[in-house]
Amino acid sequence: MSIPFKYNWRNLRVRWRSTLATTLGIALVVAVFVMVMSLARGLKATYLSTGDPRNLLVLRKGAMAESSSQITLDDVRRTKFLDGIARNERAEPLAAAEIIVLITMDRTSGGKAHMQVRGISPMSWQLRPGIKIVQGRMFQPGRRECVVSRNVARRFENCRYGQRFRSGKGNWEVVGIFDAQRTAYDSEIWVDADEAREAFNRSFYGSIVCRPVDELAAAALIRRIENDKQMQLRALTETEYFRQQTRTAAPIQVFGACLAAIMSIGAAFSAMNTMYAAVGSRAREIGTLRVLGFRPRSVYVAFLLESLVVAAMGGVLGCVLALPLHGVATGTFNWTTFAEVGFECRITAGLLLGGMLFALIMGALGGILPARLAARKPVLEALRAT
Amino acid sequence: MTFPGLVLRNALRNKRRFTLTLSGVALSLFLLTVLRVVLRGLTDPATTDEAALRLVVRHKVSLANMLFAKYKFRVEKMPGVRYCSKMLWFGGIYQDEKNFFPQFACDADTVFKVLAEAKIDPQQLDRFVKERAACVVGIKTLNRFGWKIGDRITLMGAMWPCNLELTIRGIYSGTVDETNLFFHHEYFDELLGDKGFTGLLWVRAENAAVVPDLIERIDAAFANSDAETKTETEHSFQLGFVSMLGNLKRLIGRISFVIVFTLVLVTSGTMSMTIRERVREIAILKALGFGAWRIFCLILAESFGLAMIGGFAGCLGAWVLVHAVDIYKLSRGLFVNFEVTPRILAQSLLGAALLGIVSCLLPAYGNLKRSVVEGLRAPD
Repeated sequence: MSIPFKYNWRNLRVRWRSTLATTLGIALVVAVFVMVMSLARGLKATYLSTGDPRNLLVLRKGAMAESSSQITLDDVRRTKFLDGIARNERAEPLAAAEIIVLITMDRTSGGKAHMQVRGISPMSWQLRPGIKIVQGRMFQPGRRECVVSRNVARRFENCRYGQRFRSGKGNWEVVGIFDAQRTAYDSEIWVDADEAREAFNRSFYGSIVCRPVDELAAAALIRRIENDKQMQLRALTETEYFRQQTRTAAPIQVFGACLAAIMSIGAAFSAMNTMYAAVGSRAREIGTLRVLGFRPRSVYVAFLLESLVVAAMGGVLGCVLALPLHGVATGTFNWTTFAEVGFECRITAGLLLGGMLFALIMGALGGILPARLAARKPVLEALRAT
Repeated sequence: MTFPGLVLRNALRNKRRFTLTLSGVALSLFLLTVLRVVLRGLTDPATTDEAALRLVVRHKVSLANMLFAKYKFRVEKMPGVRYCSKMLWFGGIYQDEKNFFPQFACDADTVFKVLAEAKIDPQQLDRFVKERAACVVGIKTLNRFGWKIGDRITLMGAMWPCNLELTIRGIYSGTVDETNLFFHHEYFDELLGDKGFTGLLWVRAENAAVVPDLIERIDAAFANSDAETKTETEHSFQLGFVSMLGNLKRLIGRISFVIVFTLVLVTSGTMSMTIRERVREIAILKALGFGAWRIFCLILAESFGLAMIGGFAGCLGAWVLVHAVDIYKLSRGLFVNFEVTPRILAQSLLGAALLGIVSCLLPAYGNLKRSVVEGLRAPD
């Protein structure tokens, strides 16, 4: 089957005005799709990159989040020294009791947000080796000092290095900035756990992070904690806990999909219009092609291809338009933790591919009917057309 | 042939194109209208005269920090306070996590005096007040799960280490949000061993004049205590909550802008396609003595009419969607306040009108500039 490629390409250039309008239309739809989905991708990626598969997280039974979990001091002591938890060189168990306190902070971009303040124990740093202080120093317990993530320092009022903010019974000074490498910890303020409990009137801890010696020990610990009727706690791997938080992205995904679906139908209509006009005004050319020996099938493919090329150009342009959003930091509300989670928009190769595919579907939808019309035109009639 | 007749003939000359363009315009305006409805539903909590009298007293640190329950006794004695009820977000799970709806522990004797606009049968209210494990449910939630009076339901505590076994004793309606479940704070205290805290205090002021002063007096009363308070009107409390969701206004605003821009682009492209095919006809009209203004009006009327019909269809579609589909059920309890207001309708139609005008300007300009001779010579 021969296809008059050159003829198609020249046509696009001659009819550049309507080609441009359709291309831009498709480009904008693709751009919106890629942008909204990059929010969902970024949010998911943040949670999926958080947590260490070797760590266990112990929460109160029934609690869906660290921030709504409570563990009494007795239970913390009992859990910490359970068999199977690894020990460091000084024979201390690798387990850290932590507490999350939610505080209201002002965003630099306006509005308020619930922030997670994580009260940590000294062992917390050993359990999360990926997190490093990049500016200033670690806080000293008892002096109303805190360290914040780089993301928080940028996005919230009074959280820059050296600044102070008031909350609870404290006027907290930011003495250090840490980098949590785009994990969910990047939305947090870290202080000493016991100081947090005192400053925010908590008699309990929230959760325990611990490191079992190996996978077998981990499974045994999970069972052991689950079956302990006295403690009413449950344990799960840290990665599993954060994987569950990815459902925060679901509403954004649904929103993006609905939006894209409706907009794409509109764009397909526009493409169809353009293609019908193209077929209509080129009747004589179609007739000529047929006389020259091109089969109806070739004409059909040629016109469909023309539509697809326009759509592909729109797709590429749309992806390019969306690209600047990559890496832009933003935040949303996680209903489960009841706190803000910061993330960076992520435009992956897969997402771009999705955008292109989406554009091509619009092109195909817009091109099939007009192309069929072109292919079925009787030769003589087409030649006679004015 | 009359002027409107000519416009109509022109518009319908290519029926396929007319339909496609119309559908495109209608679809886009539908989307714009729905986006505005969603935005309004999420960011503009409805307020009533009654709500303006209500104050929310919460812990200064954040909503997730608890107040001492004893604060209620001080607040309810303050001059200017008419009624006061403790409120605590229970956040329990009914059968499955997907069945989300708000549940509050409250003071049974005062909660419906604070929430004064709620309509509830006096006998039902009486039974609710007298029975410790009773609850009152909003009509929307009741219908959503097909409950009826007397049903027993279990709520598993996700935030608190206790499960509630409640009996439905009453139904309320007539408020902006008819989805809540209210139960006895004492019942919660009993299950948890009376820890002596609550989430927030819900206050109804005597009248609107005392509100600003009352806010200051309440916060001053608990200043420098173990749990300092932040008091605000119910409306500003809700707005504060909305702002936690992130900058939805900006996101939806930008998307709407892109849609409008695309729409103008595409419609204007179609209009120029239409006009390009008529170059010769327009030249003939000119030769017959039609002024440039008349010809412009001809084009404008066609484009304007197309946009307006599309606009009406889009708005109608949005209206039907909002009324025919139970958005509350569909969104699993997230969208409560979902309505196509006259203001949103007006905005959409205004948008359509502007679209009609703007998208014919460029094509019309190009055509009117062309001389008669040039036009007559133009190939089809």
